[in-house]
Amino acid sequence: MIIFIDGKKFGIESKKTILEAARENEIYIPSLCDHSRLSPFSGCRLCIVEIKGRRGYVPSCSTYVEEGMDVKTDSPRLRKMRKQILELILSEHPNACLICSEKENCDEYKSTIRKVGEVTGCVLCPNNGRCELQDVVKALKIDKVRFPSVYRNYEVKKNDPFFDRNYNLCILCGRCVRVCHDLRGSSAVSFVFRGSKAGIGTVFDQTLLEAGCQFCGACVDVCPTGALTERALKYETLPDETRKTICPFCSIGCELKMELKEGRILNSAPSEDGPVNQGQACVKGRFTIKDAVYSSQRILKPMIRKNKELEEVSWEEALDFVAKKLKKYKGKEIGLIASPQVSNEDNFLIHKFAEYVLKTENIDSVVRFSSYAVFQDLAQKNGFELNLNFKIEDISKAKTIFLLGADIVVTHPIIWLEVLRAVNNGAKLIVASSVDFFLNRFSSLWLKMKPGSEYFLLSFLSKVIIDKSKVENLAQIEGFKNLKSSLDELDLSQAIEKTDIEEENIKKAAEILIKETPSVFIFGMELTQLPWGSQNLAGLWNLSLQTQGQLVPLGLETNLRGLFELNRHCSSNTKGFKRIIQDAEEGKVKALYLASPIPYSQKAKFEFLVIQDSFMSENMKKADAVLPAASFAEIEGTFVNVEGRIQKFNKVIEPLGEAKPDWWIISQLAQKMGHNELNYNASSEISKEMIKNIPGFSGISFQKLKKGERLFIQEEKKGKKKFVPIKFFSTSIETSKEYPFLMLVDYNLDYYKNLDLSQEIKAFGIIRNSRWFKINPNDAKKTKLKDGETMEVESSKGKVKGIVKVLESVPRGTIVASFLWNEEETISVARLVSPLSNASHSLVLLPVKIKRGK
Amino acid sequence: MENLSEFEANQKDLIHILHKIQAEYGYIPSQALSSISKHLKISESEIFGVLTFYKAFSLKPRGKHLVTICTGTACHVRGAPMILDELKRQLSIEPGETTEDDLFTLETVNCVGACALGPIVISDGDYHGQMNTREVNKLIKKIKKEIKE
Ligand code: SF4
Ligand code: SF4
Ligand code: SF4
Ligand code: SF4
Ligand code: FES
Ligand code: FES
Repeated sequence: MIIFIDGKKFGIESKKTILEAARENEIYIPSLCDHSRLSPFSGCRLCIVEIKGRRGYVPSCSTYVEEGMDVKTDSPRLRKMRKQILELILSEHPNACLICSEKENCDEYKSTIRKVGEVTGCVLCPNNGRCELQDVVKALKIDKVRFPSVYRNYEVKKNDPFFDRNYNLCILCGRCVRVCHDLRGSSAVSFVFRGSKAGIGTVFDQTLLEAGCQFCGACVDVCPTGALTERALKYETLPDETRKTICPFCSIGCELKMELKEGRILNSAPSEDGPVNQGQACVKGRFTIKDAVYSSQRILKPMIRKNKELEEVSWEEALDFVAKKLKKYKGKEIGLIASPQVSNEDNFLIHKFAEYVLKTENIDSVVRFSSYAVFQDLAQKNGFELNLNFKIEDISKAKTIFLLGADIVVTHPIIWLEVLRAVNNGAKLIVASSVDFFLNRFSSLWLKMKPGSEYFLLSFLSKVIIDKSKVENLAQIEGFKNLKSSLDELDLSQAIEKTDIEEENIKKAAEILIKETPSVFIFGMELTQLPWGSQNLAGLWNLSLQTQGQLVPLGLETNLRGLFELNRHCSSNTKGFKRIIQDAEEGKVKALYLASPIPYSQKAKFEFLVIQDSFMSENMKKADAVLPAASFAEIEGTFVNVEGRIQKFNKVIEPLGEAKPDWWIISQLAQKMGHNELNYNASSEISKEMIKNIPGFSGISFQKLKKGERLFIQEEKKGKKKFVPIKFFSTSIETSKEYPFLMLVDYNLDYYKNLDLSQEIKAFGIIRNSRWFKINPNDAKKTKLKDGETMEVESSKGKVKGIVKVLESVPRGTIVASFLWNEEETISVARLVSPLSNASHSLVLLPVKIKRGK
Repeated sequence: MENLSEFEANQKDLIHILHKIQAEYGYIPSQALSSISKHLKISESEIFGVLTFYKAFSLKPRGKHLVTICTGTACHVRGAPMILDELKRQLSIEPGETTEDDLFTLETVNCVGACALGPIVISDGDYHGQMNTREVNKLIKKIKKEIKE
């Protein structure tokens, strides 16, 4: 439509506000409370404009354009009013520096530092130089404040992780409240009190932690003042450079911008226009990256074992040593483990290294344990096409969202934001879980169920839908008859008995699934990590076919999908994780090359162990050579995210110490072993070769990738569909008198390579901690365990220690633990399960007993 | 604590629920917040925001007797500040507080629509117009006497 702004004609899309239209055309209207990602609030009134034919002044941030509208953004009267409004705001804000006539020269002469808690002016404010309030003051040319100044004299709140709140600087724009409520669903902060006491706060002035904050930092990012500031930046000066890259801390792959000063990372924050994360991130990407990269656990020099001790040596010596040793073994005597947290290029090369240089089939990774692997297996056995791609933005278009197992607010925060958007658009959220997740606040239906009984629930829902919907539609899909007859033996009473879900709720779920389409089914590792995981998945697959819903499999690790695509095509006949460990235990594999954390196996005895990682670990105690790999921030490459998008990440800083890219290490080793075909100068050369050779990447333009376009893994769009008949067998993992508790595992990716974020970064460990054993208050009372105490958990296989965390969300009779791949023996949950080499090992459910530890 | 099941889990009911609790207990006990939060599926901070916005709700138990003084513009110019000072002195509390013996709660309000009669003091629902320090003194004494009897 056509509108006029300050006499000029503009073509503007409808559904835009005047402020947006003006911004698009580079016409400045001062504003403070408006934010492009938030709904209009009209609190500050700075953005007022005049509209021809209308009386008075309207806020341009909440007034939508109309055909022929004639807007005036500037006039003496408007200027006067805006000045007055801003002066009123400033009267409650430390304003000495803002109106100081020397402010232009201040930077040059000021001697002061910011090591003062009280902010009495910009010179003492962490926001100085990047402050929207300063910008507006400058634009409106404010040089005095004609109202009496008040200093609110609130105490600065410093007792939460990662950021401080100084409400003396707050201008009550409400952006933090809106972002927390509208986009993040936390509502940890709110407007509180009224009149002169009105402000932003939490319930009874509790800490943010107590008030349910996720520490996503979204409020810090939208705050126009220094009221909310990241503690790590408090005493830093302004950055001299900003670089964009991809966050490696989960499979979402948020685009982050990193601020740098003299080549050092100052902080990381979501970039405003990242296509996947749209200006949002989570606590890990926002607050932990810098500390992880510069961790004291970083391995900075190559090391080899000399006289029983690891000693630092030159790269030359280390590579020669490893090459010489590896040459001594036959292919089948060497095993390699690849990592889902490094780039595709690194993994491509390690696979090539195995195949061409070491000539071994013993290469594998944790992909083996992922939902992808279970899904692929199911598809192959039943003859349907595997589709793993999806688009995050499609989730918000769904009418029903069925979530199984995963606590996505923690594991896949950006998926959660999209689910929240769907719910805000009126979608129904059904959650099937035993734990009462935070997001249940938004669910229409919580199917509180016995852990592990998913396939009874899913199959019963299938059955109800078969009975209620038009059979002709479903009968067209192959395998319908088989499915139908396989479900015959299941009846309502059995479903209720197995799942413990109330009858009424099962019926409600079926009703929603039939009525509210399209639906999306989101599931995490919890669903598939059971001995009968493939039956759970089959149940879900059938249900998704029946309702024509979209399946969203949530891979956990950063580049799990990329590694899966590689594995799928390059190593069809490779051996498998369990086998490698078992062979090692039996002495068949004599040399192991670890490019990824794996559980420490007590029984495995290697003649030769190489570790290639960025961080120190338990396994290093046994290593013969340790090769320092660069972290993601120091290299470039590509990751494939949970949706199947290939994303290029960029080098942000120089490698620390003598660390080198994984691909470089492998390439050098290959050359030392006499293989020049693995000679590369840059990771982009490997990308190009990979694109040529790996089907999932084929046809992809490297040029486009380089430019930052996000391209999807290639897969058959309309693959073959087929129902999978369900086999019912009496499977359950039961508690006993001896082991009266059921242990569940939280699958969070709270580690980066070998670094446990919760142990490395104290503030993060306060929010969630890998050492926690979470327990229901009732059980805690019965066993006389209190928050923070040491607790011992014992299974039939072993016992480990952890810290008691009492939480109401945990169901009675269960313990929820975290699982890391590589931890010290006394605390690793891996100790509680049968060895990985055992086929039936279940990490999700485990009968245990507990007691107070020492 | 509360039996909230009589209410639909409708977020629009928040104010209604708060009113009921306020009427029943004379204030909003802090534990109520977590029950309401679970029932209505809104965060405790949001509920806190709502209940600290409206004068009708209080977080502390109110005293047996509620004394409210209007500090609206009209009453203000007619001397409400002096009367408020007197009340504070008499009861040794600030507006919004309750005396230690739980007998009096002092509150202020902005205009009760009886400006012509200002300054206004309301004791337990009874309006007293054209107050001054002496009158208010008498009023408090009267209530105290009644309590004793
Ligand atoms: S918030 Fe902005 S205007 Fe206020 S003191 Fe800090 S830098 Fe200055
Ligand atoms: S950090 Fe995130 S969850 Fe916490 S208050 Fe800010 S926006 Fe809300
Ligand atoms: S804390 Fe910041 S974002 Fe929140 S209202 Fe105050 S100024 Fe606005
Ligand atoms: S959601 Fe994942 S990718 Fe995004 S910031 Fe958090 S950890 Fe990083
Ligand atoms: S920006 Fe429009 S009212 Fe604040
Ligand atoms: S100002 Fe007190 S009644 Fe209006």
